Amino acid sequence: MNEIIVNGMSFSIPLFIIAVGGIYSERSGVTNLALEGFMGAGAFFGALFTALTAGVFASTSNLPMYLSLFVAMAGGALYAIIHAVLCIKFKANQVISGVVVNILAMALTDFLTSQINESVLGHSADKFILNVFPRLTVESLTGIPVLGGFFTNAYIFEFIIIAVAVVAWYVMYKTRYGMRLRACGDNPYAVDAAGCNVGRIQFAAVMVSGALSGLGGMCFAYSVFGHYSTSIYAGYGYLAIAALIFGNWKIPATLGACLLFGFARAAGYSLIQYLELPGTYSDLIMILPYVLTLLLLMIFSKNNRAPRALGEIYDKGKR
Amino acid sequence: MKSTKKKSNLFLTIMGDEKRQKITIPLFAILLSLIAGAILMLSLGKNPIEGYLSLLKGCGLMMKKNYAGGKGMLTDFMSFLDIWTPMIFAALAVAVAYKAGLFNIGVSGQMLLAGFVASLTVGYSDLPAVAAKPLTIIIGMIVGALAGSLIRLLKYKFNINEVVTAIMLNYIFQYIISFFILTYYVHPITRQSNVVSDASRLTLQNVQIGNMKSVIPLGFILAIVAVFALSYFINRTRVGFELKAVGANKKGAIYAGINANKSIMIAMALSGALAGLAGVTYYMGYVASIQPKVLISTGFDAVAVCLLGNSNPIGIVASSFLVTIISKGSIYLNSSLGLPKEIASLITGLLLLFTACDVYIKYRLKKAKDHLEYEEKEAQRYIEKYGEQKKEGEQ
Repeated sequence: MNEIIVNGMSFSIPLFIIAVGGIYSERSGVTNLALEGFMGAGAFFGALFTALTAGVFASTSNLPMYLSLFVAMAGGALYAIIHAVLCIKFKANQVISGVVVNILAMALTDFLTSQINESVLGHSADKFILNVFPRLTVESLTGIPVLGGFFTNAYIFEFIIIAVAVVAWYVMYKTRYGMRLRACGDNPYAVDAAGCNVGRIQFAAVMVSGALSGLGGMCFAYSVFGHYSTSIYAGYGYLAIAALIFGNWKIPATLGACLLFGFARAAGYSLIQYLELPGTYSDLIMILPYVLTLLLLMIFSKNNRAPRALGEIYDKGKR
Repeated sequence: MKSTKKKSNLFLTIMGDEKRQKITIPLFAILLSLIAGAILMLSLGKNPIEGYLSLLKGCGLMMKKNYAGGKGMLTDFMSFLDIWTPMIFAALAVAVAYKAGLFNIGVSGQMLLAGFVASLTVGYSDLPAVAAKPLTIIIGMIVGALAGSLIRLLKYKFNINEVVTAIMLNYIFQYIISFFILTYYVHPITRQSNVVSDASRLTLQNVQIGNMKSVIPLGFILAIVAVFALSYFINRTRVGFELKAVGANKKGAIYAGINANKSIMIAMALSGALAGLAGVTYYMGYVASIQPKVLISTGFDAVAVCLLGNSNPIGIVASSFLVTIISKGSIYLNSSLGLPKEIASLITGLLLLFTACDVYIKYRLKKAKDHLEYEEKEAQRYIEKYGEQKKEGEQ
């Protein structure tokens, strides 16, 4: 049981923060299929940071790993500028822009990873090896049945992400910027009439989206893969989009969706181990989150209410 | 000041009016990405002209210095046609959906499913070539069309965003097929699915032409037929017109009495069928087996090709030609100049990026033109006014 919780959490929580990033962008009215690219690009910058600073810090120090999370956030935000410029300044089709940004991210990071490995680090490889992220066990709480599993062997980044998510929730629902952001997604013309710069609000939202996705991507690189390579583009960004649609573009509901995906996946893996099925059956488990997404969307999509102006190209002259 | 104005004038005349911009803007995007690619090659210490020439050489469009025995420019060119074929089909699949206002990102998954089902039913049977080849094509089309319609059905019945459905189905197909291949149809040495029979394959293997052995991609003929058929369908038939109308303005089309749901359903089924054709020409033509757990990038690159070709079937032939040269030629680029293969996908990525900027380029051109016109008018007015004053002075 504990194993399911540990594995489920280490998958759900990074997925959750990527989905929160998606919510930021989509609630501001910018369709974001680019989460996959943001995630990969952010993780690339984070992994690059650890690879380049490998000699700077003491080998036992965990500091570079925490710093790499910040670098991944900055890198993701930086990369998100492409999507923001295309969608907001160049007024390109947002769906197309998202796909373009994803393809470019994959090509760019693939190219840079092998080039930097060869020319800077002096050995040819297509990935950056990452250290094992520290885990935390709260001794006093592990005794509690079921709930204790959440405090056993948990990656520390899970707590960091939850803290970041709480801040993100606060900013979106309790601050003036958050209110304007949500208004942009429903009626940007009203926001403009109130004297705010719609473009600037959306631009910031897309960059936040990039930062949060970068953080999630870096954590995936630590937990699921243990290294950075192009295998990180496994579709988790798209899964996050499904989670946020399932969560009706609301942060708490999206957390539920992500937990469901993560636990379905972890439980499936445990089941295979328990039944001692051959390894090929793991492919069937891999589809669980995707099938669940479709099934749940079938039930809940009818009542879904997307932001009204989502995907609409904001044109000031239309007011 | 004057010289810059002249320069922008020249640029504007080259880019032409709105009709011509449909061609000149993609060309401009291609030029930009080729320049970016050249800078990349320069930064790696290689001659970009040589680099681009070796792309052409790798596709059999230019003579290489030397060839292995039994191979020649024709061999390379035929193999280029072989990989070009699925790209044309995939891009047409994206285009037909795009014309109806839908975005089919599931082409790769539909290709895989069609290729897999056709492999199982025809590829592993011992039907003679006369029956097997047409059957492969028909099964590929039907399976693709069903997969495409499923996306639309989920949207229509349950209001699920078609992009999300398509992406979820991509993964579901990928892993389910991977499971079946690894459990039942795996080849013990290659770890891929068993090779399909030569009779069912859409590419003839080892055909002796002169003193060379070459492949003959039969699917390519089909692709060219599909291009013209689709062009006719979209531009000259009623159903095609309705489909375009729905894509341009759904509410307007419904108001004009068009059954929008039917149009979109037709578009998705057609898109899926084309993706299915791409699947069989790839998995049962260019290659003869399926690699488990891998979703090929053709379906995603097809989005680029479609955009670059303005989602016009004839334009797609040109743009897929270019993108295929870059991806296919990169292998020779790698072996002849030692440049990394990833550079090809990077150039394609940049090409996509610049193509996505088309709306902005159009807007800037229009603005520049309006500005010029305004200036001209002002100058005219000034001259008129100045002339009048002069006249007054004379009096």
